[in-house]
Amino acid sequence: MSHHDVVVVGTGLAGLTAAVRLAEGGARVLVVAKGIGATHLSPGTIDVLGYAPERVERPSEALRPLIEAEPGHPYAHVGADGVAAAVAWLKDRVANGSLAPYAYVGSAEENLLLPTAVGVPRPSAVLPETMAGGDLRGGDPVCVVGFSALKDFHAALLADNLERSGVGVKARAIELDLRPEGRVDANALGFARAFEDEAFRNAVVAQVADRMRADERAAFPAVLGIADPHGVWATVEHGLGRPAFEVPTLPPSVPGMRLFAILRTALRRAGGSVLLNNVVIGADQTGGRVTALRTRVGLREERRGADWVVLATGGFASGGLALDSSWAGRETALGLPVTGVPAPGEERFRPGYFEEHPMGRAGVTVDRELRPVDAAGERVLENVVVAGATLAGAVPWREKSGDGLSLATGHRAAELVLAASTPAATVGS
Amino acid sequence: MAQLKADVLVIGGGATGAGVAWDAALRGFDTVLVERRDLAEGTSGRFHGLLHSGGRYVVKDPVAAEECVVENAILRRVIPDCIEDTGGLFVTTPDDDPGYGDQFLEGCRKAQLPTEEIDVAEALRRERRLNPAIRRAFTVPDAAIDAWKTVWTFARGAAAHGARILTYHRVVDLHTSGGAATGARLRNELTGEELDIEAGFTLNASGAWAAQILHMAGIEDVGVVPGKGIMIAMNHRLVNTVINRCTMPADGDILVPVRTVSVIGTTDIHAADPDEIPVTQAEVDQMLDDGERLVPGFREARALRVWAGVRPLFQDARAGEVTDTRDVSRAHAVVDHRERDGMDGLLTMSGGKLTTLRLMAQDLVDAMCAQLGTERPCRTAEERPPGTEEDEPYRIGSRLRRREETLQEEQLICECELIGRSTLEQAMRERGTTNLDDIRRKLRLGMGPCQGGFCIYRATGILHTTDRLDGAAASAALLGFLQERWKGVWPILYGDQLRQARLDDWIFQGLLDVEHLPAEDEVPA
Repeated sequence: MSHHDVVVVGTGLAGLTAAVRLAEGGARVLVVAKGIGATHLSPGTIDVLGYAPERVERPSEALRPLIEAEPGHPYAHVGADGVAAAVAWLKDRVANGSLAPYAYVGSAEENLLLPTAVGVPRPSAVLPETMAGGDLRGGDPVCVVGFSALKDFHAALLADNLERSGVGVKARAIELDLRPEGRVDANALGFARAFEDEAFRNAVVAQVADRMRADERAAFPAVLGIADPHGVWATVEHGLGRPAFEVPTLPPSVPGMRLFAILRTALRRAGGSVLLNNVVIGADQTGGRVTALRTRVGLREERRGADWVVLATGGFASGGLALDSSWAGRETALGLPVTGVPAPGEERFRPGYFEEHPMGRAGVTVDRELRPVDAAGERVLENVVVAGATLAGAVPWREKSGDGLSLATGHRAAELVLAASTPAATVGS
Repeated sequence: MAQLKADVLVIGGGATGAGVAWDAALRGFDTVLVERRDLAEGTSGRFHGLLHSGGRYVVKDPVAAEECVVENAILRRVIPDCIEDTGGLFVTTPDDDPGYGDQFLEGCRKAQLPTEEIDVAEALRRERRLNPAIRRAFTVPDAAIDAWKTVWTFARGAAAHGARILTYHRVVDLHTSGGAATGARLRNELTGEELDIEAGFTLNASGAWAAQILHMAGIEDVGVVPGKGIMIAMNHRLVNTVINRCTMPADGDILVPVRTVSVIGTTDIHAADPDEIPVTQAEVDQMLDDGERLVPGFREARALRVWAGVRPLFQDARAGEVTDTRDVSRAHAVVDHRERDGMDGLLTMSGGKLTTLRLMAQDLVDAMCAQLGTERPCRTAEERPPGTEEDEPYRIGSRLRRREETLQEEQLICECELIGRSTLEQAMRERGTTNLDDIRRKLRLGMGPCQGGFCIYRATGILHTTDRLDGAAASAALLGFLQERWKGVWPILYGDQLRQARLDDWIFQGLLDVEHLPAEDEVPA
């Protein structure tokens, strides 16, 4: 049986953030996960708080009343300062990371308004430099560039909705028939790889420059490179002689894949490692502490010893939480108590899709130190900290707080573990 | 106000109405069919997809069984491409009386329904997921039928013979004059415009909504008690043949493989209003338990979608007075309003089932011909609607085979249901609809495991371009579809489908922020 100071379960933003921070702090870290996490599905922006429930302009200011009103909200365990620290940490890791000089910009102090692929101005705080030019709080008219071979980004729909969204930015669309390797059906990743190719990129720039007006900025689907996004973006801007920016597409998310790559490389550089296809199916416990995780690797079962466990397996979307057909909720790795699931026969969802649903905030409830607690509020495990979308108390897809929550709680989880471990006994020895 | 004239007005665009329009048009009547929404959006599109062999009725209702035997064979001949020849089994579960099997065999013999008792081991060899504790098994010629395609096929056939099919046209009044029905006032539900139609004869094929139509002609005492039934589509074909419980017809006793899914049905609860048929938690639990009885592990499978339909159960306050037009043992009957209410030129089809839609149409048009004193023989048992001449029966995998031929040449828009871009664009142009749910029923768009999570944004973008919609109309189509989809999934969200739904929340709300799409623009002056 292997043994690590910390085993992190889950390889989404929360898990990777915790793992990198822990490894940097001197801990011997192993990340185990069933598969790739939600980075590849999310926009790649760090949305701290977009709606509460009205649109938020200054997230760090809006966090305080939110925490006061909702003491069970995951942000309540981190605090506005903790969020700011996590954001600063991430920006530094990206700026000095494997894809540098590709960087994240912005802060929790204020939200930008970025167009979504359907043309809605969406508040976001911290984002890739390649998206910042899309800020709709002012600025030049937008020329949205679509590709007929990319079905996950519809430029005309984006432009039309943006025009009538009330932000006062003019928008129009052009569509290019340039195909990665001649394919009629390429996804965002296929295009991102094509953009790394100089000939393809030059062809795009030539066609766009030809049709763009002198006062416009160019909106591209978020496919401007995967290995060298800064270089691709800068060349496109240079070639056009005008600002250019990316708009997130349907998954797979190229910006999310970049972020995953940066953090995974940072983890390796700090001495940590990742094992995929490891499904945690339970734990050995003694006296309120986990001593080892039991994982399933194919048909084999293995045990991995740990002094600490960071659980960051995600929510219902990622399989970290599940509801069975007799309507009982469960946390799938360790069987932790799940709160917020209505009893069988009670209403779980409302008939209107956009209503707030009774089980929308279900998850694992934790105390101020992110330790899981039972229905009575009693800590159930001393050396398990929970981070990310597994946590109860938030509706991140409505709040537009998804990756902000994961980053902040993942970072906080690492800080808690580092603080609780005496250097001589466990960490960094 | 616009005026229309026709020999025959058919009210209702379900299986019955489409069959009636096809039959009447084939006999040379100038026919108009009106439907308040889209074709097959009422009861016909909300059933389990079973083309009955008749086995379900051989003991309880032999007349209905005999009708099914004959009509099943006819439909296989005239609309082969709407049918998958799955075959069926009647199985005696541990909760069923094995003695019923003998009554069943005797009933099949009388109804001339080909059946054979097979060994339980043989049944389990054919259907490996079937409950191994079954005690008897009988084969029958059940099949799966695509209700949407069936209704569209007959409607297209009627149109090819001159009929006009008016969807989204609601009957708001029936015109009568001198004791005869003379037509109706219609409202175009999309534009709000009204128009009058003058018709020599009116055929009421509105099923569970028939009483509402008759009330407009002052006929008050025909009551329809809508019988609600729910069905759940499970991901994958848990079985490849139709599985029936070998017992008197009851709830949750049929499991039908339909294309790539299987459908469990159904319940029977009286509903006050055919437009108010919510799915309850208790019904969902009951269906899952019933499924478990037929296929152990059923609850662990992924439930894709749930829906409710309404059977048109008739309650005629004056049934006793109406002589032999309404035989209580029959599954359907023509209500002759001349005899019953002194109203000429108006007939109502009562009861019935999709399997016998052709016969129902024939009976209704025959009755009309009798009242008109004209002799025009029915041809629907021999004639194939256009578009079905060359086609073979549907087989699982045929869509994939066609799709693979063009894999390198066109985009795949809906990965679950293998819908290519040209197919989608063509449907959008032909239908002239801005309603993505109409496209869903036509193509099965967004009906697979992801329930539109990926294809609906794409389809909205394509609709926006193809139909030259403005952003407001395209956004309304997107939001409308999301709400329709939600209606069909929220009562069954557990396991993998809850996981999928939450991913879709992240896509539509987290990534696209569709809930903040600007509201509909002011209508330009």
